[in-house]
Amino acid sequence: MTRGGKNVLSRRRVLKTGGAMAAGAAMGPLLLTERTIAQTRTIYVNTWGGSWTAAEEAAFFKPFTDATGIRVRTVAPVSYAKLKAQVQSGTYEWDVTGINQSEWLRAEREGFVEPIDWTIVQKDKLFPNAVFANGIAYCALGTNLAYRSDKFPQGGPKSWADFWDVKKFPGTRSMYNNAPRTLIAAALADGVPIDKVYPLDVERAFKKLDQIKPHIKVWWTQGNQSQQLIRDGETDMIVMWNARASELKEQGHPVELVWNGGMVSTTMWGVAKGAPNRKLAWEFIQFAVQPKPQAEFCNRLFYGPTNPKAFEFVKPEVAKQMPTYEPNAKQMVVTDPDWEAANAAQLQERFTQWLAS
Amino acid sequence: MAGVVAAPAGQAGLAAAPARGLPADSTPWLLLAPATLALVILFLLPIGYVLLLSVTDPAVSIAHYRRIFSVPLYTRVLFNTFTTALTVTGVCLLLGYPVAYVMARRSDWVSTALLICVAVCFWTGFIVRTYAWLVILGNKGPVVAVYQAFGFGAPPRLLFTTFSSILGMVHILLPYMVLALYSVMKKIDPNLLRASASLGARPAASFRAVYLPLTLPGVVNGSILVFTICLGFFITPILLGTPKDMMISQLINQQIEELLAWGFASAVAVVLLVATSIVLAVYNRFAGLDRLWG
Repeated sequence: MTRGGKNVLSRRRVLKTGGAMAAGAAMGPLLLTERTIAQTRTIYVNTWGGSWTAAEEAAFFKPFTDATGIRVRTVAPVSYAKLKAQVQSGTYEWDVTGINQSEWLRAEREGFVEPIDWTIVQKDKLFPNAVFANGIAYCALGTNLAYRSDKFPQGGPKSWADFWDVKKFPGTRSMYNNAPRTLIAAALADGVPIDKVYPLDVERAFKKLDQIKPHIKVWWTQGNQSQQLIRDGETDMIVMWNARASELKEQGHPVELVWNGGMVSTTMWGVAKGAPNRKLAWEFIQFAVQPKPQAEFCNRLFYGPTNPKAFEFVKPEVAKQMPTYEPNAKQMVVTDPDWEAANAAQLQERFTQWLAS
Repeated sequence: MAGVVAAPAGQAGLAAAPARGLPADSTPWLLLAPATLALVILFLLPIGYVLLLSVTDPAVSIAHYRRIFSVPLYTRVLFNTFTTALTVTGVCLLLGYPVAYVMARRSDWVSTALLICVAVCFWTGFIVRTYAWLVILGNKGPVVAVYQAFGFGAPPRLLFTTFSSILGMVHILLPYMVLALYSVMKKIDPNLLRASASLGARPAASFRAVYLPLTLPGVVNGSILVFTICLGFFITPILLGTPKDMMISQLINQQIEELLAWGFASAVAVVLLVATSIVLAVYNRFAGLDRLWG
């Protein structure tokens, strides 16, 4: 049942944007036959499915195939566990993946990550801070406070302190079932400045969390669950990924994002250790982090480009919705992957226990 | 004689020397061999591997087990998993028994209609049914609308409670219970009830003394089916319930997917397996699992 649940959920993710689903479904059977032919040069990319894969298709895969003749096939959804399973078993379903920076760092420390092939990747074509733990920065994701503007006609919450203030801002609240993000939000609510978050005072953060716990209606775990909650008015205020909130706003829902105190984390492109098509994979990643493709991707999904030059190709009104847009970025906490990688397991355990009690 | 004929079917290569050196009663074992092999390869070996991982990954130790029993989270969630599974099983039995009874006792359109309802339910994906409850019990759903139409004021909180979590799981597992009961009830000879009536038993007494005992295999079968499937649930409680309704497989999934702690996840899985076996063993001691087979 566990496995089934996982699969169906991911299928739901695909369902989310109806159009892309057909393409995804058509790719399943293709994958097998393509592999058996194996004459042409092909790489396999692990992706989320749905609108994410559709944006990748337009921004990266198609232009890359047009330019190089290397074909790209996708495998959904993104699975961190599969990275480990592939490397340990030596059987590869995909070569390239896009994974959160702190998870990528843990994978690198455990030896599941292919070192960057510097004979293919050209250093002078990269941007500052592009390389981390043998991965290359893909895009930036904000975890922000969002609220229903129709529920707060006098003006909504503007900070985590406001989120905690249930008298001044009455209404239902929902948070993300994720230890590091939630603890940072608590620390900020308690008055810690954004540049003094690390090293995080965990005790202080949990103490602050105790105050808000009775007011949290739902602790969500899936991105589409967070969208359902605020779209259907189940919650008036929520912790949410910036791109998910922008997507709702684009669809005409009264959702406002707060950049102040948002948390920005980076997704990394990387190659599974020993992946059969690793050379082609590095060629692909090199292509995907160039300004134009990055801008094409972020224009569609509102994630922030990691390559600063990408902003040249982003419309100003779209740029304002991105976490790496300078006026937004300077109000946000840059999450520390080292700290997260070192503390994730222990914090998640304590946090889950706190939630369940 | 049958043995001599059947044996070469399993071992085409030995056809020239039929069954020489093999005792006649080895035939059943040979016939069992493919199934046994499949069970060993697909079931016992993986479980053995999980057991091995739980004491060897990342290092050889029983530290994982020590952690499970020293951090309150795991025993608490494990306990909650079993009580939830028990509650869901009980509610399924209470709701499913009358439905299966009507389905089995009537042979007109009512029975057909019920069977179709149960089957459609059975064939609909559980994630779809879980999301349906999000709509039905939600802020803009029919329950709230009816409540407000009658002017009762603010409706009680239905969604994101233990109640909605149990409701969702019962809805998903009810068809298993109904079908398990139905298959047994359908085989009960209606003449037995007529016989008891002719001997003077009132309907209630005849149900209690004749019908109910005959349906017990279905009750046992359905309950074990629902109980064991429910032990592995976690998506429905995540989507409909509160963090307090957390099931153990959610923690196992988190360890595997997010933390790559396969050794620890294996240890939790082993504890779940052992606990389940103990529950079934106790059950077997008092009720007898052989009733499963009627």
